[in-house]
Amino acid sequence: MSVNLDVILRNLDYLLWGRTPEGELGGLLLTVLMAVASGLLALGGGVLLALAAWLWRGWTRRVLFAWASVIRGIPLIFVIFWMYFLLPALLGGDVPSAVSVVLALAWFSAASVMHSTLAGLDALAVGQAEAGVAAGLSRGQVLRWILLPQALANLVPSFVGLFVGLIKDTSLAFIVNVPELTTVASQVNNRTQLYPAEIFLFIAALYFILCCGLSAAARLLAGRTA
Amino acid sequence: MTGLTFDWAGVLGGLPLHWLATGFLTTVCVTATGAALATLFAVPVLGLRIGPPGPGRWTAVAFIELFRNTPLLVQLLFWYFVAYGLLPRGWRDWINEDHGWAALPGGVNLATPEFLAATWGLGVFFAAFLAEELRAGLLAVPKGQREAALSQGMGSWAILVHILLPQALGNAWQPLVGQYLNLMKLSSLATGIGLAEVTYQVRQIESYNSHALEAFAAGTLLYLGLSVVMESALLQFGPRRRGAR
Repeated sequence: MSVNLDVILRNLDYLLWGRTPEGELGGLLLTVLMAVASGLLALGGGVLLALAAWLWRGWTRRVLFAWASVIRGIPLIFVIFWMYFLLPALLGGDVPSAVSVVLALAWFSAASVMHSTLAGLDALAVGQAEAGVAAGLSRGQVLRWILLPQALANLVPSFVGLFVGLIKDTSLAFIVNVPELTTVASQVNNRTQLYPAEIFLFIAALYFILCCGLSAAARLLAGRTA
Repeated sequence: MTGLTFDWAGVLGGLPLHWLATGFLTTVCVTATGAALATLFAVPVLGLRIGPPGPGRWTAVAFIELFRNTPLLVQLLFWYFVAYGLLPRGWRDWINEDHGWAALPGGVNLATPEFLAATWGLGVFFAAFLAEELRAGLLAVPKGQREAALSQGMGSWAILVHILLPQALGNAWQPLVGQYLNLMKLSSLATGIGLAEVTYQVRQIESYNSHALEAFAAGTLLYLGLSVVMESALLQFGPRRRGAR
């Protein structure tokens, strides 16, 4: 088998940004944007849910845990299907598919963020909360000013791991035909027919560099602050 | 279709019901074969990974990093579109022949390129994850266990097999069960290479009679049910952590 790098070079701009110049985001660019958008939403949402579960230990926590275990019990692709069909029905209008996928990824990952954050809060020394209470702070203030800042700092590696997972999960948009990296690669493969090895190995390398690079950067950062 | 009204007749009867049943059987089969293959592959990967520094360990680290840092879907596309085409012609002809022995009820055939690529892809991908979970379980075994065994005159192989691995398995069982459940759920990605499992059939029903919501609900319940059954069975019959009740 001879390697044909020409097919990569000829389609490089399409793989990297799809039809972005024509006004439709695509390719690696869309992959990164989707991962960042869903990552930010999942982080904000997941931390808020964790705070709610920490402050209200009764029914709120039970409902949140039940929600998280249902989310963990079904494949991500089904969360995407549900968003894809329920959002337009609920909002009564067209929702771009890429937006549905971003919301589904965020919804799915928020459950993991919530559990990680709760674990991070529980891992702190009990004395931290007790000292806050002894100093006259309310439970909410203890959480906001003492526990959360420490927990979040400890949780950075775990959040980076979740974000790496999100980058990989954006590839599922292929199944609902959103033109991110995997979809455009498969389009190029269908068009050229003869070079699946070159195309799929190239995009695998792109994903690998993104994911590994991010993990390495996080390790470097952790080493510096520790 | 208007609003969110459910009409189950379009899913729980006739052809759609048949599709869901064969899809479920396919999901169960690909999960079982994929999990078996992943477990089989995880053993040498773990062995090389915890072995002495050198080419063996580097290979294991490269394998683990490579497969954990690329999307499973891209790996499945690679195995199906690239690796399958590199198999010797005779093998491919043999796979494409009719295999009565590999056919299950309802026309579910296990000797197809899609099924083999999905099994192989899931097996290789999850071998990397299982090996890392086992290694974490091994690292959590107290050092004294190894020293005590050494002082009893046991060899390093006997220590690994009789002392360390059983405890590592107990330590790592919970996360390992999580990985097996992940494998079952991620088998849904095989729809991307055309394996007719549950997700594929749900989409087929959707395009056949537009009963999208009912089909999604049925698929969701099938996966959720399989998750619950698999998890309780694996936790029930699996090894327990030492000292835990």
